[in-house]
Amino acid sequence: MDCHQTKPLGNRPEGIKRILLMGNPNVGKSVIFNRLTGLDVVTANYTGTTVTYHEGLVRFQGNQALLIDVPGIYGLNAQSKAEEVAVEMLNSGADLIVCVLDATHLERNLHLAFDLQTYDIPTLYVLNLSDVAKRKGITIDVHLLSKYLNAPVFETVAVKNIGIDILKESLFKPHPVKPALKILDRHEKSQEITENVTQEHDVEIGFLERLSEWCIKPRTGIPILIIVLLAALGIIVGGGKGLRALILLPLVNNYYIPFMTNLIEGIIPESVFRNVLVGEFGVLIKVIEWPFALILPYVFLFYVVFSFLEDSGYLPRLGVLMDGIFRKIGLPGNNIIPFILGYGCAVPAILGTRASGSRRERIIVVSLISIAVPCTAQTGAFITLLGDRSIFALAFVYFISFLTILLAGLLLNRLLKGKSRPLILELPNLLMPDFKTLSKKIWIKMKHFIYEAQVPMFLGILLAAFLVETGMMNTIGTFLEPLVVGWLDLPKEASLSLILGVVRRELAVMPLLEMNLTTVQLITGSVVALFYLPCISVFVILVKEFKVKIALLIALSTFVLAFAMGGIVQILLNLVM
Amino acid sequence: MHLYAGKKHQKYILNDCPNDSLLNAIGVRNGLEVSVVTKQPIGGPIIIRVKKREIAIDKSLACLITAKAVN
Ligand SMILES: Nc1nc2c(ncn2[C@@H]2O[C@H](COP(=O)(O)OP(=O)(O)O)[C@@H](O)[C@H]2O)c(=O)[nH]1
Repeated sequence: MDCHQTKPLGNRPEGIKRILLMGNPNVGKSVIFNRLTGLDVVTANYTGTTVTYHEGLVRFQGNQALLIDVPGIYGLNAQSKAEEVAVEMLNSGADLIVCVLDATHLERNLHLAFDLQTYDIPTLYVLNLSDVAKRKGITIDVHLLSKYLNAPVFETVAVKNIGIDILKESLFKPHPVKPALKILDRHEKSQEITENVTQEHDVEIGFLERLSEWCIKPRTGIPILIIVLLAALGIIVGGGKGLRALILLPLVNNYYIPFMTNLIEGIIPESVFRNVLVGEFGVLIKVIEWPFALILPYVFLFYVVFSFLEDSGYLPRLGVLMDGIFRKIGLPGNNIIPFILGYGCAVPAILGTRASGSRRERIIVVSLISIAVPCTAQTGAFITLLGDRSIFALAFVYFISFLTILLAGLLLNRLLKGKSRPLILELPNLLMPDFKTLSKKIWIKMKHFIYEAQVPMFLGILLAAFLVETGMMNTIGTFLEPLVVGWLDLPKEASLSLILGVVRRELAVMPLLEMNLTTVQLITGSVVALFYLPCISVFVILVKEFKVKIALLIALSTFVLAFAMGGIVQILLNLVM
Repeated sequence: MHLYAGKKHQKYILNDCPNDSLLNAIGVRNGLEVSVVTKQPIGGPIIIRVKKREIAIDKSLACLITAKAVN
């Protein structure tokens, strides 16, 4: 999920207890992890893979233990990269396993519990989501379950911090290794245990359960989808504009720019060097103005909306609803999740496809995302560029993006051999996300964006300032004139976009802000920037995940598409306008 | 009849499930009592409820599962 990688906690004290936190996906592991550990959490990449996990210290009465949040898995059969990683973590030794069980899906969860029993590691069980179980009319006899599993079981409501303290305390108590249960047929055993420990009563169906059903029935699900989409757009576009206009632009324009300009003009005499610092493309100006005042608000709000939807359990329902349509482009509906993620950043979206999907599906999703899905930074740039001029222009660029996704998808589905797999999906509970976990998640994503974006952005702007102030841009402009002026009908200076776009995708849009362009020119420039090239980090991931050949093929197609579409759009719009 | 032909809100007992690893892992097997929640248009999945869980099953797979209506 993360663009950014850090090393595991290096300063780990010797001899400290190692605890593995394990469980199926969506059982509330991250919330439990966050409640048990403090702020000193690191995101790490498992050696040699792109599966990420978190590590943090648990402190209790002067004792410390290292808690490792193992990726969510259904079993230990090494069926996916995440499962392979989990097995390796188990093999590399642990003093204790905390296995989190979802009280509402006990039967399925027990399979992993059985798998874990084959390791000689003491194990505690956590029965989480017990509030949701109660709401659904499920009661579980914790005592009996503990007898069956031959180990302690703690009932928790992680989001309300219920049961967490007792769990924490017991992490530091000694736990013996118990002999594994003798199991002949795990399906029968898990069924038997579940039936004996669970009681179900009829309860009045709550609002969230009803909402859950409405989300997946087409007649109500599609209106709900439209509402969600409009709300998301409202929050991101409207909220972003508000944040910019009210807070960020005044800060930058009224305080930062005058301060910096005065400061530099006071120390450095009029020269090319001074212009590079605070001139038209002044590095010290743009490096703050572009990322912080123009892009950051949109990136932030995108992750607010996305993380909320992700944690609420709505996205798999959307996948079910869209399955029919997605099949037309050769994809099972649950691929909508990497797609939406791609509107944030293509890197985590591409990595996210590892967990699911055949190679054929992966190639389709990844190509479509790399070619035609704008990332948030680009979206922010488009909104800044077009939103102030004409909302239709903005809508038009997104229409072009959708059309390309659809056509390219149909084409790829035809070209690539094979069939997509059938969809089988257990819908997670629909929930109100936990505020604390959500904020931490958004904070981590923002930190990554700033780390990831700042250096290339700075270098790009430095390059721009250098090219413009030394007059070299003129030479390049003349060289690219037939393409930029002749075919795209943009001014000569716009070739700067093409140069900067190699560094980062949104940088292909930003220079256009500074030019006085007509609406048609703005649209043309945006369409070219929409496709242009995958940014460097995306290209690197493509090479790593697939082959150089596929990465080059994707880059080439988006490059050609950029100029073809740009030219065609320009000609057509100039005819009608 | 096969499961995909099932009617909304009707209960069924599954009596012949194909031996599919995904179906097994998610606990869809012979003898299970399920009810149909909804079906998605244009070839989308059928959604069944098993106890308090909701499971989406692809049309192609649901067509291979034999089921019998119960009251
Ligand atoms: N109501 C309720 N929600 C929970 C509980 N534990 C976790 N959640 C929510 O369940 C969702 C999935 O939790 P998360 O920790 O992301 O699951 P993970 O995939 O196991 O890490 C989030 O929206 C959490 O806020 C709980 O005990 N009760």
